[in-house]
Amino acid sequence: MSAPVAIVGAGAVSAFGIGWRGLGEAVAAGHLQPRESVLLRESHPGTLASEVPEIPAVLDAGNARARKLMSRAARLAAIAMREALVDAGFAERREEIGAWMGVGASGIAMEDVPAIVSASFVDGGLSLHRLGDQGLMACNPLFTFQTLNNFSLCHGAILEGLGGPNAAFFSRGSGTAVALAEALHALREGDCDRAIAGGADTALHPVTWAELRRDGFSAQGLVPGEGAAVLALARGASSRALGLLESCTAIAGAQAGTTPVSRELELLPLPRRADLVVIAPWGSPARAWLGDVAVTRYAGAAIVDVSLRLGDSLAATPALAWVAALDLLRPGERAVVLTLDVDGDLTVAAFRKESP
Amino acid sequence: MRAAWVNGTGAVTPLGRTWRETCDALAAGRCAIAPIASFDASGFPSRHAAEIDRDFSETDRRTALALDAAREAWAAAGLDRQPPDPLNVGVFIGAESGRLPFYTLAALARAGGPGPALDHGRFSREAESRARDLDSRLVSPAVVAARLARELGARGSVATVSLACASGAAAIAEASRAVRQGECEVALAGGVGADVDPLMLAGFGLLGALSASGMSRPFDRRRDGFVLGEGAGMVVLSCKRGVARVAGIGRTLDAWSLTAPAPDGSGSLRAMRLALAEAGLESVDVVQAHGTSTPLNDAIEARAIREALGESLPSSHVSSIKGALGHTIAAAGALGFIAAVEAVVTGTVLPTAGLAEPDRDCALPHVVGRALSRRVDSAMVNSFAFGGANCTLVVTRE
Repeated sequence: MSAPVAIVGAGAVSAFGIGWRGLGEAVAAGHLQPRESVLLRESHPGTLASEVPEIPAVLDAGNARARKLMSRAARLAAIAMREALVDAGFAERREEIGAWMGVGASGIAMEDVPAIVSASFVDGGLSLHRLGDQGLMACNPLFTFQTLNNFSLCHGAILEGLGGPNAAFFSRGSGTAVALAEALHALREGDCDRAIAGGADTALHPVTWAELRRDGFSAQGLVPGEGAAVLALARGASSRALGLLESCTAIAGAQAGTTPVSRELELLPLPRRADLVVIAPWGSPARAWLGDVAVTRYAGAAIVDVSLRLGDSLAATPALAWVAALDLLRPGERAVVLTLDVDGDLTVAAFRKESP
Repeated sequence: MRAAWVNGTGAVTPLGRTWRETCDALAAGRCAIAPIASFDASGFPSRHAAEIDRDFSETDRRTALALDAAREAWAAAGLDRQPPDPLNVGVFIGAESGRLPFYTLAALARAGGPGPALDHGRFSREAESRARDLDSRLVSPAVVAARLARELGARGSVATVSLACASGAAAIAEASRAVRQGECEVALAGGVGADVDPLMLAGFGLLGALSASGMSRPFDRRRDGFVLGEGAGMVVLSCKRGVARVAGIGRTLDAWSLTAPAPDGSGSLRAMRLALAEAGLESVDVVQAHGTSTPLNDAIEARAIREALGESLPSSHVSSIKGALGHTIAAAGALGFIAAVEAVVTGTVLPTAGLAEPDRDCALPHVVGRALSRRVDSAMVNSFAFGGANCTLVVTRE
């Protein structure tokens, strides 16, 4: 019998602002419509998005110098990590706390690229010799810090003093579920007693959005979003528990979304019963498919679609769905969270809240 | 609890198309580092790398390298003759983002206007047509694992670890966990790095991490930074008894700095101690060090190794294959792991190329010149990443 793993805190940054409590309720109530993106206003004016509102200075990550080194995703991750640690009361022995994150690759600030390229042109052509010399001089010396994917985990770990077992999984959705699954295994195996797990990303990077548009996702209803969400987990039952983490699975390369639900249901490792089903589909076809799964498998359960309000924030999407489910979970209930990402990968997570 | 055994290994490096070729060259003390030939690096502060002098039919160089190494490991495990149930095969790969051909990136940037400032409006109008060249298969870290899963017909867990220089070792750690817990019967695990390109040379150059002398000299008093390399290392793990066992895993975060290790080496020391404790060992016969050839990292790692092994240190042998292969970033931990497995299986303890004058701050029982041959029952592998993530693995004969 595996040791239970309790969810003892959470943190989130989303289009609703900073904080996870009330996020599920707000989503279920249909508050907030996607609005014109500020981040994409210059490159893609008029794009509707679920964008994180301006971050109050007092709640921001680190100091101004630290933020210069951060990508947008790393900054959001650090804020969510801090909230989860405080919410869980993880103040002591932080060097023992594990950290697993799903991270995206939307790092580099676009403004930095033209500078390095411009300085590298000779007579209308690009010179790699010039790039290695003047190009480097013109470059923002900090840009490397924004490009390494694992820094979305490491910035927050450094700011919060986390020193336990860890990994960063590349994710456009499913990698974030792998991160939570690994945290669950590590806690059950006793690699650590406490851990955080989640995801952070933004689809509101000009290149990311250009790519998603080119690949036809926007035409099929994908609304770009951004955010970060983190669960704080503890080994064993806890009086502080907000819920129990029962399972988390990522089914990468599944045919999810392209085959009839009736066929897939036989193969998917879905929990038997759910009182609440939270779905996070990237767009219209995924929404129809996941909705069909939820209705067919969990007749009578309440169904909440978080992507209608939070959009698709790639690596952050499953984690935001988890905290929304946690917010909506009532004593004695089980929530199943299903996400389907732009690669067609399915994630399944199950949470339960004990009756008092 | 089941054990995770190594059933097969494979590698592609500048010194060989297979692990055997690579190992023989490493054992002979050969070094792959040379002036960069794949592009004009004459203007860069660092102009040397360990490059693989081959073109591949695969569009993405990372995938091509990983495929060759995976096929070798798969065959070495005998799985090409007796394929396992696809539903029980997992794929765990350490990989970072791929690089667009630099000219494509330059063209994309030019879509934002001719000057040094980005014209967002123009970028929006022009970039998407140019973005046809921006093939996500060349960029996404996840494509490597997905391609390998397709190649092997794997239908189990597929994960991509992006943990910079510790990616390959962390992927092997995740795969070991999955095998031990019965999540999969067979796991392909490893890492791939193909980062010898202008942007990476620029990025690491800006950090001051690259060798200006163009020499990789781990633990040598003349060391002045690392040299980029490229390659792939893959292993097949399963619960079936194999040539070596993954006996210990230690993973920690420094929580100190993005680019420098904790000055007291506490993060790496904890990783080593955790891995040794899980293996039930206080000493090991061989240490395959992270050993990047940077002044700070090597000294701090050497101190942490001395503390971790204590009085048993003189009976162990320490080396770093980065002296010969350069730093292969996401592949580094996997190639180091394979070198450790080689030591346990054949007793071949590979030397540290480039090390001729050991730094007093890096005093360790180094292996220099040519490989040693001795009985090896246990070996430890260190991988430390930018951002402060540490991963140590211990492999044993039993």
